[in-house]
Amino acid sequence: MATIVKSYEPTFWDKLYLPALMRGLIVTFRHFFRKNVTIQYPDQKHIPPEGYRGLHRLNKYPEGRIKCVACEMCSAACPADCIHIIPGPSPWDGGKERYPVRFDIDLLRCIFCGFCEMACPEEAIELTEIYDFSDYTRDDLVIDKEGLLEVYDLTKDQNYYTKKNLSKASSVNTSIDT
Amino acid sequence: MPLLKIDGKEIEIKSGTTVLQAAEANGIEIPYYCYHPALEIVGSCRMCLVQVEGMPKLQVSCNTFVSDVSSDRKVDGKYDMVVHTQNDLVVQERKNILEFLLLNHPLDCSVCDQAGECYLQDYSFKFGNAHSRFDENKRVRPNEFLGSQIVINHNRCIMCSQCVRFTQEISGTSELFVEARGYNSKIAVLEDNPLDNLLAGNVADICPVGALLSTDYIHKNRIWNLKKQPSVCQDCSVGCNVDVFSQTDQILRLTARENLDVNGYFMCDIGRYGFHRYEEIDRVLQPMVRKGDSFVSADWETAIQKTIDLIKKNKSNTAGIVSPFHTNESNFLLGQIFKDVLGSLPPITGEEITYPSGFRISADRSPNTRGMNDICEGIVEDLASKIKTQDIRTLFILDDGVDRKLDDKWKKIIGKMDSVIVLSYAMTDLAKLAHVVLPGHAPLEREGTITNDKGRIQWLRPSLPVKVESKPDWEILMLVRNALDKKTEHFVELGEVMKKMGEKFENYAGITFFKVGNQGYSINGKSS
Repeated sequence: MATIVKSYEPTFWDKLYLPALMRGLIVTFRHFFRKNVTIQYPDQKHIPPEGYRGLHRLNKYPEGRIKCVACEMCSAACPADCIHIIPGPSPWDGGKERYPVRFDIDLLRCIFCGFCEMACPEEAIELTEIYDFSDYTRDDLVIDKEGLLEVYDLTKDQNYYTKKNLSKASSVNTSIDT
Repeated sequence: MPLLKIDGKEIEIKSGTTVLQAAEANGIEIPYYCYHPALEIVGSCRMCLVQVEGMPKLQVSCNTFVSDVSSDRKVDGKYDMVVHTQNDLVVQERKNILEFLLLNHPLDCSVCDQAGECYLQDYSFKFGNAHSRFDENKRVRPNEFLGSQIVINHNRCIMCSQCVRFTQEISGTSELFVEARGYNSKIAVLEDNPLDNLLAGNVADICPVGALLSTDYIHKNRIWNLKKQPSVCQDCSVGCNVDVFSQTDQILRLTARENLDVNGYFMCDIGRYGFHRYEEIDRVLQPMVRKGDSFVSADWETAIQKTIDLIKKNKSNTAGIVSPFHTNESNFLLGQIFKDVLGSLPPITGEEITYPSGFRISADRSPNTRGMNDICEGIVEDLASKIKTQDIRTLFILDDGVDRKLDDKWKKIIGKMDSVIVLSYAMTDLAKLAHVVLPGHAPLEREGTITNDKGRIQWLRPSLPVKVESKPDWEILMLVRNALDKKTEHFVELGEVMKKMGEKFENYAGITFFKVGNQGYSINGKSS
């Protein structure tokens, strides 16, 4: 069935366009007096909420030992197959006898689903709030064990970006060297 | 024949078999730890408990034998034994047994190398409780070395005593024993008699949990990352069936594969750790042609052309050297090219060892001596004198690679030659003397058949991906053969070579990969 569309004949006021313009401007003016939702990135950083899934980190015990035991549960759970671990006998005495000799995460493959975090029996791998880690080459975006431990040091005390916003000077270069 | 009823299924089986075997043969699963088909029955793990009607308590099915009973004692007038493996009583009892076994088990699956092929994991998942009611502290003992290659983690041990029985019955060396009793019992060795026999690696294989570990594989990888390929060990002429576990292009470990006609359930440590010698070698991955004192890499066409030129220079004065390390197909093709004079590299020998169980390590440490002799008729015994009488100027050698050390006798022979062509996977001493080196496949990359010393043809399967420009040995030999004589067949796949081989040799007639299969095919009983 065809729909019959009635044509609309514009009135004088419609042709003038001014009332419509005014109605639009009222919306604009209303927003003048509201709180800003945009921020001045990159001078000012967005602080992600808790539970945000950003860059990974590898946790350490207070005495400095890596928590990871290289069980490869995370790489088994990973749907993007981006975690590569080479295990080895741990150099520390007592307790856990296994540790990762290499622990590489291909950040370009990673889909930040957080399955690795859920699979980890040692609470060693976690996703942090860091979201700006772009780089120039693909190789630089494969983060290794040292890089992941460095992320832990950066994020263990407080939100990474709270710190960044406090010190304006360091906010220019935010990329984490991996 | 006694008639059984297991879970409502009627089974007729010969007298003297156990209930466990009867159930297993008919696809009924009964869990067990301490039972091993090659070892004595002890019935110590209690995991295989079943209910047998008419018996007051649950019975261990691995030690309950089936036999005929008099007609007045038959159940329902016809069954000799009625067994329940799935009723509430049995299921509850399995849960209880698993709870006992796990009392002191550390549950460190995340660092345990057995995880993924561990029967404690599997049965806990299938039959066990989800939670432990054990609040006390677990018994903790340090790891110990039982021998140079075997470590024991006492915490994970469930005292099934398979390893103890293995050293008593199979290797006959009796190094392992159960020390102390009850709660304090543990697997131990005497200080002056460590577990260092050539079958020691098997105890890590047969351990149903992660208690016994091989230092060669400990903390190397996780089992689910590895690709498992059934193949044949190439370290002696027994040809034990093995499973090769590899990840990308690296072999991580070898374990024995069951084949009752060849090796039973076990393999020796020579074969088990033998793959390491192929790891850091000077691989040839491109055809190499000699230029002065050094080699330059060439493409296949040039290399084959150069080979042909060298052979054609004096065709009648060229000899082929077959090898006891190569497959039947490669040796066959080389034998077809050089029909007149065919020599062979001598088999590598070692000490012959036979264990009380009948397990054998052959003195002949090359895998395919029997096959080479079967396939290549008229191998010249005394090559040096034959070279003199026939005036041989060119040699085409199938190289054994890293397994062979070049002795003075061969150096002398090669020194006399105008030109030497070597098909090898590594830059060995022999290959360094060659004029053309054609890159073939390394032992665990090869495909083909080999014949063990008892005349069993077995399928050698490639366990690793092909490296760079190397080609299968048979394909290289076929290319040379085609280039020498345009009338010869062009084989598309290895099966065609086998077919051709079968036409020439009666013993090998009708051999296909399908016929050989995983368990091999014996050519004994046929006229030679």
